[in-house]
Amino acid sequence: MTQTRRGCPVSHTDYTGHAPLHQHYAMLDADREQDRFLFNDTTDRGFFMLQRYDDVQAGFQQHETWTTAVRSALRPETGEPLLPQDLNGQPHVKLRRILNQFFAPAAVRRMEPMAQQRCIELIEEMKDQGECDFVQEFAIRYPTDMFLALLGLPVSDGEQFLEWSDDYFGALLAGDPGRAEAAKASIMKYFDEAVTERRANPRDPKEDMVSRLVEARIDEEELTHDEILTICLTLMLAGLDTTRSALGYIYTHLAQNPADRQALVDDPTLIPKAVEEFLRLYPLVFQAGREVQEPQDFNGLQVEKGDVVWLGIAQANRDPRKFENPDEFDVLRPNVNQHIAFGGGPHRCLGMHLARLELKVVLEEWHRRIPEYRIKPGTELTERGVQLSMPTLPLEWEV
Amino acid sequence: MFIAIDETKCMGHGRCYAVAPELLTDDDEGFVAERGRCWEIPADLVGEAQDAADACPEGAIVVTETAPADA
Repeated sequence: MTQTRRGCPVSHTDYTGHAPLHQHYAMLDADREQDRFLFNDTTDRGFFMLQRYDDVQAGFQQHETWTTAVRSALRPETGEPLLPQDLNGQPHVKLRRILNQFFAPAAVRRMEPMAQQRCIELIEEMKDQGECDFVQEFAIRYPTDMFLALLGLPVSDGEQFLEWSDDYFGALLAGDPGRAEAAKASIMKYFDEAVTERRANPRDPKEDMVSRLVEARIDEEELTHDEILTICLTLMLAGLDTTRSALGYIYTHLAQNPADRQALVDDPTLIPKAVEEFLRLYPLVFQAGREVQEPQDFNGLQVEKGDVVWLGIAQANRDPRKFENPDEFDVLRPNVNQHIAFGGGPHRCLGMHLARLELKVVLEEWHRRIPEYRIKPGTELTERGVQLSMPTLPLEWEV
Repeated sequence: MFIAIDETKCMGHGRCYAVAPELLTDDDEGFVAERGRCWEIPADLVGEAQDAADACPEGAIVVTETAPADA
């Protein structure tokens, strides 16, 4: 390889396509081991790739000069406004302060009984079938219901809501703005009715997020109606497909590694650590983007204003310089908590504690009821690029 | 042994008080309530303090032999 850009070798690896399952991790590992920094030329703007744990973590902490004007290195032009992540600096901190209290561990613990109950209902509904498409039928329905509950909306709307959100998300990732707009219109109408209802009948703003958003003031200004709707849409986009995707990779692993599955069945107290190790090993948001606002020397990489930077989350989580035998699932690894599957810096995933709860509850309740299962023989497992997700995962078990 | 938690680096990942519940607590927003402080660790909790430092994805927690000069 002789081609370089500002001293960096050029990578042509395309991370946006469909591929056999786990192939993206192999591509990411190969790029990381090729050189410390690469320039990737597969998008119009291109991007500088930070790939080692220390560089990615430091990149997340550059938040004063590397902003979310670009959120994804692979989709720098995505026009969809998102809140709070489109904000930076103090305006971002102020909005996060309003939302944090509904996503903090203390708040999430209060949701646990409901999370358990809903999870049990969904498992019991299909247990006697002896089979399901795990990602299509269960792994997306559960976080959808939890999302509606978080907004104080009836979980009975889950089925309809799921149809819209799936359509919308699929269209966004495929870069199909026409289809995305149509799906979005139904969702926004639904949120609009919900927020309007809550304005008329406010609940306790300490417990009810929508009521809190309605009464909140930032520098004495109310949030506009559109801002509140955008926050609802953002939470939906951030929390549904990601959880489904995480569950898909986790259940594939457990179906293919019976010893790991049996360990969790025998000792469910291992589950919280297993969740962290799964998050480390199978991050589905495998990169975050940032846009450079000031020229800078970053550990020897010269960046200029307007550059797009790739923060290689999955590459950091699987960096052998940080995690010994990074391809192995090891719940007892000493630094299991240091993975950055949820990003870092002020934009770190708002829903990380809720995600942890959902994954833990599913692993506990499922294995209590369906301790043994397998992937339907003959299934070809694949994954979608940009943000990893499995289109299908058919599981079977004895009834 | 002393523990110091950098308030500007803490981003509320919540890993520290999950592994060190006797030493650290969480606030309503999910941040470690003791952020911005430096104090001497009770002898029986030095292990927890080290675990908390090791668990932080932001490198916000430092455990040292002596009190930092600026504390």
